[in-house]
Amino acid sequence: MTAMRVDAKVVMLGKESVGKTSLVERYVHHRFLVGPYQNTIGAAFVAKSINVGDKVITLGIWDTAGSERYEAMSRIYYRGARAAIVCYDLTDNSSFQRARFWVKELQTFEEHCKIYLCGTKNDLVEGDRSARQVDFHDVQDFVEEIGAQHIETSSKTGNNVDALFMKVAEDFSNSAFELLPEEKGVNLDPKKNSYLYTCCHH
Amino acid sequence: MSQRSERRGIHVDQSELLCKKGCGYYGNAAWQGLCSKCWREEYQRARQKQIQEDWELAEKLQREEDAAYASSHGSQSQPSLTAFSKFEEKKTNEKTRKVTTVKKFFSPSSRSTTKKEKERDEEREKERERERGEKVQGRRESHGETLLRDLKGIFTHSWEIGSPTEESHEAKSHSPSFVHQSSVETDQVSREFVDFLKSLKPGREIHKQSRAFVESMGNKKDLGADELSECVQDFYQNMSDRLLTHFKGSSEKVERVMDQVEKYIMTRLYKSVFCPETTDDEKKDLTTQHRIRALHWVTIQMLCVPVDEEIPEAADSVVKAITDIIEMDSKRVPRDKLACITSCSKHIFNAIKVTKKEPASADDFLPTLIYIVLKANPPRLQSNIQYITRFCNPSRLMSGEDGYYFTNLCCAVAFIEKLDAHSLNLSVEDFERHMCGGGGGDVSPRRRSESLSPWPLELLSALQERQQQVLEEARDLQAELQRWQEGVAREVQDILDKYPLEIKRHAAHAIDSENDENDRLPPPLQPQVFAG
Repeated sequence: MTAMRVDAKVVMLGKESVGKTSLVERYVHHRFLVGPYQNTIGAAFVAKSINVGDKVITLGIWDTAGSERYEAMSRIYYRGARAAIVCYDLTDNSSFQRARFWVKELQTFEEHCKIYLCGTKNDLVEGDRSARQVDFHDVQDFVEEIGAQHIETSSKTGNNVDALFMKVAEDFSNSAFELLPEEKGVNLDPKKNSYLYTCCHH
Repeated sequence: MSQRSERRGIHVDQSELLCKKGCGYYGNAAWQGLCSKCWREEYQRARQKQIQEDWELAEKLQREEDAAYASSHGSQSQPSLTAFSKFEEKKTNEKTRKVTTVKKFFSPSSRSTTKKEKERDEEREKERERERGEKVQGRRESHGETLLRDLKGIFTHSWEIGSPTEESHEAKSHSPSFVHQSSVETDQVSREFVDFLKSLKPGREIHKQSRAFVESMGNKKDLGADELSECVQDFYQNMSDRLLTHFKGSSEKVERVMDQVEKYIMTRLYKSVFCPETTDDEKKDLTTQHRIRALHWVTIQMLCVPVDEEIPEAADSVVKAITDIIEMDSKRVPRDKLACITSCSKHIFNAIKVTKKEPASADDFLPTLIYIVLKANPPRLQSNIQYITRFCNPSRLMSGEDGYYFTNLCCAVAFIEKLDAHSLNLSVEDFERHMCGGGGGDVSPRRRSESLSPWPLELLSALQERQQQVLEEARDLQAELQRWQEGVAREVQDILDKYPLEIKRHAAHAIDSENDENDRLPPPLQPQVFAG
């Protein structure tokens, strides 16, 4: 049994072959495998620890099956997720339409889940601008409307991949700590005279 | 999880210490800044909501499935269906039937129904046999206890010719009795638990609490499954909170202790809270089992499973995965059940890796898991899923690796329940034809075992032979019992005829006159005079 404790559940959503698994593979193993089955490389569950400031956050990254035949079950997957990385292929407009579907689902059923829209295969559109089918600014508008985050990545070059997961971890860390902001307030360290503000005192 | 990290930042001013609901009491970081009262309300509401949602989802799936059934099975009925409904009927009527079958052997009046009964028995027998064939294969590695249970199952369930005491025992264990559980296994677990706690400072306290909890659950047997689940979850929560705050345990250590606590408690509560009578878990089990049987024609290609069973290692992994998922039912502790699912998943990954020469993704994994579930038809699948959902430590279920595989299993079951032509890339007509068994000879059991089951036909036919043998012997026994009953009656009558009852007056006599050992008694004591 795995002893690894996981702090936050992160689900990867997106149409088949948009590169969910490659993204995870790139992030966790720092590699990009080229081959006939490019779309299906990697493992389905990964636990990865990230240093955020002085804290260590362990993300449990859940890969999901993107095929439409499993669409009805996706709700079971993202239940209780703290973050969802919704992937779409920059060179495939239909994948973005599907991404919108997931965003809607998430907003309806999992309101505490932070949404990250991730355009994949950025390297393909960098080389050839005509290959791009999803406009950056359109997505940006959409993202602002729904209050989500947006990033374009390339698993092949590694561009923005670490940044994406770092952002997820930071946001999680901040949301977990926002109940107790560290900047202001009284230090309850016993050496200080604010010692008396304890629960039992009242 | 989040709570743990929150606890580290303890720089707050006084207003932050108050309950976030503004009720005036102090809040607690462990309760997300709420006071205990508000937290409990909040928590309860969230839980209630979740339960409600789960329930609605399940109901929806059920409805859809029922609708699918009504349309596909309205006109034609399949032979295996009728056999199965018999099986179902048998399970639900188990208790009443138990009484009647014992009587059946002795009362001549019920003999008119015997033939019908026998036919039904035969049909059930075949059903069982098929199941058992799978189990024999699946449980080769499982321990003696389950074997024993299976054996008992053969004799009490399908034949019901066991002694009355055995039957009452069986019946008792079905009802929510908390007392009737001191088996070898529970004793073993208790001993291990105590040994484990010896090394801990608060060990005595933990043991006391756990015991008290198990006993208190004994008084709550009338509660519904959701309430029971809530009790157990509350206990987990309280216990781990206490360990974290009072005994200052590190979170890893607390987790280890909680695993042991879960093991101890759930081994003891298992019989009363697994598939309880207050729920329709059993019905759902049967529906799912039925559904999987009806889908026996689904092939690896239809599901797009990336596993090539021609490769020996892949085929081996598939068999191991099936074994693991079937074995899940024999475990008592939710965590052990989860471990079976995880192990099954690991074998699946291996099978995919061997076939594709690459590690697998979720797009490969889910279809393969669905295929494995279809092939294994694990016993009491829904009950097991419900049991894990209700009684597993939630931190394990929600985010960890085990949780991931468990979620996939839930998805696989949901997929199987609502599977239609579209999800298999079949035309609606083809799908209907398959479901109605109209695909020519496709549905014959022989064909089925060739296409889907890797288990040798010899094993099944050997089992069938043995079954036949048992059947015949039982018939002999029944006949013999009949003869014996008549024989006794005849003898009694003979004797009554020979020695008609007549009452004689006995002359009064001394009480010990009939004792023929009087001679051997010592002589009565003679009075003696001692000069004093």
